[in-house]
Amino acid sequence: MKYILYQLKKHPLAIVGIAIILFWLIMASVGPSLLSYTHTAMDSENQMAAPGEEGHLLGTDSLGRDLLARIVYGSRSILTVALMTSIVSTFIGVILGFSAGYFGGKIDTTFLRGMDILMAIPPLVLSMVILGILGDSSILSLTLIVSIAFVPATARVSRGVLLTEKSQEYVSAARIRGESHLYIMFVEILPNTTGPIIVEATARFAYSIMMVASLGFLGVGLQPPTPDWGMMVIENKPIIAQAPWTVLFPALAIASLVIAISIFSDFVSKVLIHER
Amino acid sequence: MKRILSIVLILFLALPMVFAGGDKEAASTEKVVRVAEQVPGLITPGVWDGQAFSMNSSIYEYLVEINADTGALEPVLATSWSTDTGRRWEFKLRKGVTFHDGTPFTSADVKYTIERTQDPALGHLKKQDFEIVSSVETPDDYTVIINLKEQRPTFVYQLTDYNMAVLSSEYDYASLGESKPMGTGPFKMDQIIPKESAALSKNVNYWDPNLPKLDKILIYFVADIDASISMLESDRVDVVPFVTPVIKNRLDSTAGISVISPYQEQRFIAMTVDMKPFDDNRVRLALKYAMDPEIIARSVAKMELGDGAFYNETPIMNSLAEYKEIPHRGRDIEKAKALLAEAGYPNGVTVELTYASDHPFGNDLAQTIQELAEPAGFNIELKGYTRDIYLSQYWLNVPFSITGWGGRIDPSMLLALAFKSGGSWNESHLADPRVDALIDKISSEVDPEVRTGYYHELQELFYEEGSLINVQVPYLVAINDRVVDYKQPITMLPQYKYMDIK
Amino acid sequence: MNRTLSIVVRRLGSLLATLVVMSFIIFMLVEIMPGDVAQMILGQSATEEAVTALREARGLNDPVLQRYGRWISGVVVGDLGESVYMQGVAINSILWRRVGHSLVLALTAFIMFVPLSIFFGVLAGVKEKKPTDSIVSFFGLATMALPEFVSGVFLITIFAVQLNWFPIVSVIPIGEGLFGNLNILILPALSITFVMFGYVSRMQRSSMIQVMNSDYVRAAILKGMPRNYVIFRHALKNALLPTITIIGMNMGWLFGGLVVVETLFGFPGMGSLLMTAIKTRDVPLIEACVLLITVIYSLSTMITDIMYSYLNPRIRFQGGQR
Repeated sequence: MKYILYQLKKHPLAIVGIAIILFWLIMASVGPSLLSYTHTAMDSENQMAAPGEEGHLLGTDSLGRDLLARIVYGSRSILTVALMTSIVSTFIGVILGFSAGYFGGKIDTTFLRGMDILMAIPPLVLSMVILGILGDSSILSLTLIVSIAFVPATARVSRGVLLTEKSQEYVSAARIRGESHLYIMFVEILPNTTGPIIVEATARFAYSIMMVASLGFLGVGLQPPTPDWGMMVIENKPIIAQAPWTVLFPALAIASLVIAISIFSDFVSKVLIHER
Repeated sequence: MKRILSIVLILFLALPMVFAGGDKEAASTEKVVRVAEQVPGLITPGVWDGQAFSMNSSIYEYLVEINADTGALEPVLATSWSTDTGRRWEFKLRKGVTFHDGTPFTSADVKYTIERTQDPALGHLKKQDFEIVSSVETPDDYTVIINLKEQRPTFVYQLTDYNMAVLSSEYDYASLGESKPMGTGPFKMDQIIPKESAALSKNVNYWDPNLPKLDKILIYFVADIDASISMLESDRVDVVPFVTPVIKNRLDSTAGISVISPYQEQRFIAMTVDMKPFDDNRVRLALKYAMDPEIIARSVAKMELGDGAFYNETPIMNSLAEYKEIPHRGRDIEKAKALLAEAGYPNGVTVELTYASDHPFGNDLAQTIQELAEPAGFNIELKGYTRDIYLSQYWLNVPFSITGWGGRIDPSMLLALAFKSGGSWNESHLADPRVDALIDKISSEVDPEVRTGYYHELQELFYEEGSLINVQVPYLVAINDRVVDYKQPITMLPQYKYMDIK
Repeated sequence: MNRTLSIVVRRLGSLLATLVVMSFIIFMLVEIMPGDVAQMILGQSATEEAVTALREARGLNDPVLQRYGRWISGVVVGDLGESVYMQGVAINSILWRRVGHSLVLALTAFIMFVPLSIFFGVLAGVKEKKPTDSIVSFFGLATMALPEFVSGVFLITIFAVQLNWFPIVSVIPIGEGLFGNLNILILPALSITFVMFGYVSRMQRSSMIQVMNSDYVRAAILKGMPRNYVIFRHALKNALLPTITIIGMNMGWLFGGLVVVETLFGFPGMGSLLMTAIKTRDVPLIEACVLLITVIYSLSTMITDIMYSYLNPRIRFQGGQR
């Protein structure tokens, strides 16, 4: 713990990153109850109001909906999907990668082949085609499909770290003891590999946000009236000249979150990998 | 070494400047109008899904057309027509007309066009409407006699429908209809790059020597309406149809560009009467009591009620002679809640609203209805899909929907389709014998005044027990002021032959 | 050279195998999607007979494997089938033009971001912990965090709308070709460049730092060789080797970015064609586009792998201890 604090002092940027992430997490959880407007309420007398006018802190869009409310509500969905995606993709990746690295042989070859195939399509293209075909995107389907697109990356990292650990003495010791494969993989090896895996998970978190925002822009993200930040940018583009804040604030929201998570990811990687 | 790197770097940064240059000005002595349309699906008449109107309306022609200014029927390929009681129709055709491939236009082509509607393998969108035709006779090359199974005094209007373009009986539309469309129209197709653009040029053999005035029409297929408007603002196109009110507000302050409203469209908010919860008329009334036409007009059309946006609870548009003004019942949330409770929903009711999210006004209207109905206890879940998916997969099978309908100069065409039991586009599954009877009477009544009386009766019925909320919205076209005489009647077919450009 | 050749052959083989499996998966995914294609074309008011007739005519009632066989045998000889929405129009006529356009756009982005990223990545690495490094790193981080459509929207607003230096919509005027309208490439390529710069420059920087801290380089400096000399003669060569891998690793973002950017700018490329195909549920077109994107993406990954093997002396000269 002291070590972490020490590192934090050395990297003040990381403090900023963590602060921003905390800010959004708080916004997502308790934000809605602090707001004076809901994200769907249409103040039809005050359409395209500038920030600060008529009690709308960040202004309104063309339907008169409060922008602050929409961004706060939007943070819920995007954080939920991104968080779940990084967890799910890491989870699946660890299982697949560990199995491939541990058992080697045919299982490993099949795994590598499978990953090759999955990696043959760029992740955004894969997600967009499947979601576009399904026609109806929910938080669940978004999470699932983006996770699948990210599995090759997390699986590869997991496999890599497992291979490094496999040759260690404690592994052979456990084998001699007669422990089961599952035990060795997840009770012995896993705790020693948390570093790189967590770093990868945080990186996936950042990528998920970008991905979800882009999918929203393409029109295959969450459907209205759920405020998807990516969708907000594109739906307000026609009025960017008259009401630039309607595009600026969602864009800043996306950027701030991704930057913060990237900084955090860098920091985590320095701390955890150093710890070895 | 560093210096070399820096120089290289500067060069790379300067590279874009070489290619820089804003939008080019079109400089030419030819009269060219450039249009930005949505990307069309199928374009062969018969299966034409109603997009890229500027293209088909210039290549094909119809027996008759509607005058954009007066609403009267005008002769095009038919020079005159007459009927007895509406059962036997005789058309005299124009002589000396040729198709773009040089073949002459004769009565055989009209016969082919009409009989084609019944081809089972084609899936012609007007099949139902033309089932009433019992036979088509062609006593000579320039006379067509259409015999109907029943009397339809307003049948001639069916021939103005956009899918009834007259086709050549000798042309293979099955193979060539999509890639090489061919008709008798004032413009012919020079080149089409699928999903990208189409170039049309003047038909020098057009039957009217004074028309068309333009030399070329260039059509860009642009999926994003905002991109189309950008092209209009930077003078790369001259006409952009189907713009939204938000865009209209944006363009109002732009010099040289106007937004006109050639006609009104309808948005039918349909409550399916054989599915829950709208199978109970009290629930339907509850929803109607939750509506506020003024808020709807402001939110959806961005205009005040009566300025271009209208609301009523019948399928008859307020611009028609047959319309009866029924004052709105007034928003009454308490009444709505009471009605719901009576119908067995004291704690409110949940229902899905399905609609086309990329159709103008779709999103705004759906969200406005959701907002307005919420205090009354309606928990509306929005299900928006792109228009093609909405129309092909959901439209006629859901309890609650919003659909865009074009107006019809003869509303009986629409009534039979949409509100008669068994009608092919009966989205609310209405099967009320009183409605059916009235529709039949309307269709076969020869006396216009008696007919109008039936229309009024129908409207009153709809007001009390109907399945429909009708929001009329303006169809908006953004055009460069250089374009003169833009004409587009309620058939949705723009008449480029009359247009000119300064 | 023989070594490299055998690598190439082996990789091509595995690429082919991957593509075959991929094509099957793509076909299955798209064909089993909800909704009846024939119904979709004809609309809900279509009669049962019309729908059945259309299904027969398109061979949609045949078993899936047969349909796959028909499709893939067509693909192999270069016939990608007909677009569902345009009978009589071969997909080939629509597709290849767009592919060409996308490749030109990708190339433009490449020309922009590769030199910039390498230059600034190396610079930041050499000047680690100094102000230059902080500025470059932060800039890279910031641009990386802005998805292409966000930077695109701002680029359009500033450079196209306000300054009118570039066209707002990247559409090719009717009757002209891409090469007479190269200015439509700049803003889209720039949007992609921002993101790619972020990723590649950061990785390049790490690689440079690693090399600068390697024993070899430190020894050379301690021995008294001028720092710049050491950097340019030795460190740079070693730091550039992973650059190819770095670029290869991020190709996925380039392709994804292409789709987003083409849609935003209205650029007539493969990405926007795929979007249109998805929106109109044009099954053969979706399959053709996805297949083509997969092929090109896999090929580019393979090429970067091969180039890496070729340029990495350790792999190239394997078998002989030097």
